[in-house]
Amino acid sequence: MTAAGVVSPLGVGLEDTVVSLRRGHDAVRPVTSFDVSATRSNTAGQVLEMPPLSRGQAGEDPRRLHPAGRMMITAALELQRADPGFFPEAAIIGTTSGGMTYGEAFFRSLLKGEAGPKRGTWLANYAAQKPVLDAQRAAGWRVPSQIIANACASGTNAIGHGMNLIRSGQRDRVLCGGYDAISELVFVGFDSLQAATAGKIRPFDRDRTGLVLGEGAALLALEEAESAARRGAPVLAEIAGYGISTDNHHLTQPHPSGEGPYLAMRRALESAGLAPEAIGYINAHGTATTFNDATEGAAIARLFPHRPPVSSTKSMMGHSLGAAGAIEAVFTLLALRHDFLPPNINYQNADPQWDLDIVAHEARPARISRAMSNSFGFGGTNAAIILQKS
Amino acid sequence: MSVAIAGMGWVTPLGATLDGVWQALMSGTPAHEVELKAPDSARVFRCLGVEETLVRHLARTPRLRRSSSISYFTAEAGLTALADAGLDRETAGRERLALIFAVASGGVAYTRRFYEKIAREGAGSASPLLFPETVYNAPASHLSSLLGIDGATYTLVGDATAGLEALGLGQQLIVADEADYALVVGGEELDWILCEAYRQWRLLNMSGAGEIYATPPGGMRMSEGAAAVLLAREGATTIERIPDSLPFFRRREIPDALGTVVAGLPSADIVVSSANGTFIDTAEREVFADRAAETVFAPKSHLGESLGSGALTQLVCAAQALARQELPGTRSAAGWAAVNRESRSLHGVQSALVPVVGLNQQVAAVAVRRR
Repeated sequence: MTAAGVVSPLGVGLEDTVVSLRRGHDAVRPVTSFDVSATRSNTAGQVLEMPPLSRGQAGEDPRRLHPAGRMMITAALELQRADPGFFPEAAIIGTTSGGMTYGEAFFRSLLKGEAGPKRGTWLANYAAQKPVLDAQRAAGWRVPSQIIANACASGTNAIGHGMNLIRSGQRDRVLCGGYDAISELVFVGFDSLQAATAGKIRPFDRDRTGLVLGEGAALLALEEAESAARRGAPVLAEIAGYGISTDNHHLTQPHPSGEGPYLAMRRALESAGLAPEAIGYINAHGTATTFNDATEGAAIARLFPHRPPVSSTKSMMGHSLGAAGAIEAVFTLLALRHDFLPPNINYQNADPQWDLDIVAHEARPARISRAMSNSFGFGGTNAAIILQKS
Repeated sequence: MSVAIAGMGWVTPLGATLDGVWQALMSGTPAHEVELKAPDSARVFRCLGVEETLVRHLARTPRLRRSSSISYFTAEAGLTALADAGLDRETAGRERLALIFAVASGGVAYTRRFYEKIAREGAGSASPLLFPETVYNAPASHLSSLLGIDGATYTLVGDATAGLEALGLGQQLIVADEADYALVVGGEELDWILCEAYRQWRLLNMSGAGEIYATPPGGMRMSEGAAAVLLAREGATTIERIPDSLPFFRRREIPDALGTVVAGLPSADIVVSSANGTFIDTAEREVFADRAAETVFAPKSHLGESLGSGALTQLVCAAQALARQELPGTRSAAGWAAVNRESRSLHGVQSALVPVVGLNQQVAAVAVRRR
């Protein structure tokens, strides 16, 4: 990995983000972009401010772009500033809902019988590939895009598949990442499933009551190691392993055994040629829903008897769905490079179901060489990647 | 290393069997028409739809009981492709089988219904039964469950080119030895909101007719269905090459982008085109201006524009044409000598090119060859 860019409720850019992670910043706020008076949950981690984009940077009037497009452009430009010599051969990007808010606006305008001039903008920017193309245009890239929509595992799948393409010699340079912007449809959807909490998000807590949503975008520049060395590119870390599994139990609920997450993590270790003891930290999926944490907690406890420290950074910014895997990979990268473990805030009571070393409340200083980042999603998609110091 | 097509399946407005749909294409049988009405308006969309009876048997499957049409189409096409390859559905999951699903709009009917309740009655009326089916990967999840896959399952979203991106991902997994088989399925379902969006984009032919390759383009006819190919290391029809797809940022860039994508491919005996009655036709015609007479077949003239299913439907047509040495005629084709208008036999034809121009800024292609 030669460069990265990130936009999340915890900051725009790597520098801001590492400060927020060290502080254990709680970025969850009341939702302002749509009516939440009738939902159980009314908070989310939102990207409330981004640096303005010029028409020259965006390639078109930036006011027309979907917020997801603006986040992707901002992340792409950060990555490009860090490694201007990186020219991807392909883009593999995860998302779950594309430009959903523009679809909502289009539908509401139809119901109201309004024939507004914005409809063209909404339709053009609704498609899931559009923010990826926005980022490409802004950065001057023009490469094939694979847009992975594996629900909440999408971002990790994108990084893992990118790693596999490079490892198997099919590509030398791949742009990987994920994005998602908060939308009313998805927010109400999780609320209707009673998966969202009215209180604080408390991953792995005995008294957890559900997730809050988040949003953001993150991009990673992956390059074959010798290729990066030849051009003298900075090497931030290595993606050492990737595991994927599918749990066929239910569309929205994992099998109670935790077999799906267990398989994904075990396969990531096998892919990296590592024993479980090599992992010094796990950035967990940790959504704080009853079932997700139960299965992930059980799987971690089963596979890692040496009790590596575990935290869910969703406790600070919510669950950014298709972006989560990419954003959390960047968080894990920052932990490796800055010798600390980001905290699992809002944690009060240990769940007696498992014996995990939760990085509770505050960041913990730690020199680790390798860390795992997990993402699990609707449809039974499970993915895990391993990052290691270069 | 090339990969091969070991099995195929499709669900279309012309039927759901490999041979039946092909014979209907060859005979020019009209596809099944449906009318979708937009509420709060007198507008009627004349589309091509899959007959419900073709997939009704899947309703007995517990996992699919509450799912939307797109999941039925996806499951039917995928299972047909496995059966065509002689793979047993009960044991397929143990065969290092990966599933890659391509989609453009996804479960749009449930998505529209779910959000309509929110918009009309407030968030408190939202249905927890509908929401899970709105996620893009719901059809893949259902099919994975039917097959017992515990390994790689991917859903790719995009425009029509997503089908070829999925094909490429399947090939990548086999080449990287991540899988021995890759079941690649593209699917789409109709809903009035989808038609309304494309109408507002001025891409729809509201009369329900429309010509392919007309000048100016008269618009497309919306459709639905699914198409599937099972990729393996061995098979009679090989995926000769999937060049890198390219984005375009303005429509005038399409001919250059498509020309670049197909430039490195070997010459092909036939072209199974993505022309659908829109700006795509104009771009393809420019790129393939020098094609020999009667070598281009445009299946969307029969089957309509089924978005996420479209590219793999083209690919199945190409493989069928090479295997059977016959090419269907293109219905309602305007004047261009390269277009094959009447169904005819082929002789010694071994290679086909499948170009795909998406409606949302991407172009792709695949070259296939019959041994």
